[in-house]
Amino acid sequence: MWKRDEAVRTPQPVNVPSATPTPEPSTPRADVVRQSERDMVNIGKSVIIKGELSGSEDLTIEGQVDGKIELRQNILTIGPNGKIKAQVAAKAVVVLGEVHGNITASERVDIRDNGSVEGDLSAPRVAIADGAHFRGAIDMQRGGKAGETRPTEVKSAEVKQMPVAAGATAAVR
Amino acid sequence: MPAEVVTTSKVLPRFFAALAQPSLPVIMDLGPIVGPNVAFLGERFSCKLLIEDFFAEVESAARAGSAEGLLEAFDRHLEPLAPGSVDGVLCWDLFDFLDRGIGQALAARLTALLREGGVLYGSFGTTPVQLSHYTRVFFESDDKFRTRPYPATPVKRTVLVTRDINRMFEGLRVAESVLLKSSTRETLFRKA
Repeated sequence: MWKRDEAVRTPQPVNVPSATPTPEPSTPRADVVRQSERDMVNIGKSVIIKGELSGSEDLTIEGQVDGKIELRQNILTIGPNGKIKAQVAAKAVVVLGEVHGNITASERVDIRDNGSVEGDLSAPRVAIADGAHFRGAIDMQRGGKAGETRPTEVKSAEVKQMPVAAGATAAVR
Repeated sequence: MPAEVVTTSKVLPRFFAALAQPSLPVIMDLGPIVGPNVAFLGERFSCKLLIEDFFAEVESAARAGSAEGLLEAFDRHLEPLAPGSVDGVLCWDLFDFLDRGIGQALAARLTALLREGGVLYGSFGTTPVQLSHYTRVFFESDDKFRTRPYPATPVKRTVLVTRDINRMFEGLRVAESVLLKSSTRETLFRKA
């Protein structure tokens, strides 16, 4: 909570002459950085979540999530230790760990070196690093016409989708 | 292991040109994932890409020392797809690694998946050598690609003469066929 107190402190003038050395002044830029730091959430290595995860902050996952993740307006980062078995929807998704499940992003999906995705991607921009593993389909059909795309799969393929229990809640072990 | 080579293609530009016709084309790549190609195709066509990596299945079969079950493995990739739902298929040199029977059966399945006017690109070696590497292909431009080899369990290349290749893809017509300096025949098929 000390961070919160620090963040609300009134910014000090930057060019005030001072005879004694003072701690690093809190500039507006520093406040912005602190604000963005506060808007990022980490799920640590030892955390396991089963169910539905949604929010309006950027999120980094280093633990395990089984179920569904929705961060429609934010960036989701799956860290190197992250293991996801979920349908994922976010503004942007960066994968450094493992994802089993479909990923939908309104801006971009970025699978970095050693990142692994088994599932379908849907995003206007997709970047896959040389050492990344990927298996699935990539839908880069732009213009927000996902529902208008031509059907590719036969109906029996729909059983491949992992069902998520209705009303499932997040449980932290 | 051979060095990386940049090759000029007369056939790939026609493959890309054919994909410019349908809006939001569906492209199936039977090779391994190549990140820069995903960006290249995405920027170019605003497409749907199906990355299947049949070479991984070929390698599994080669390590097992038997092609039994290889066609079933291919089918697991293809079964979810509706007939006539694909606009373009990139086979690369996959058929060099398949015996004729499996190659014939796979060609029939791919032909069925193509929509009318859809195109299929393949390259076919003309020398009966031992193949000890697969090839990752990077698009550099419409008519240039870079090949990067990676290790394979050695198998003898299946060499098909042009007539056999054309028969194998019954239902498709040859739109372009060019013999490269590397003794590889690039062929573009189109579904009439």
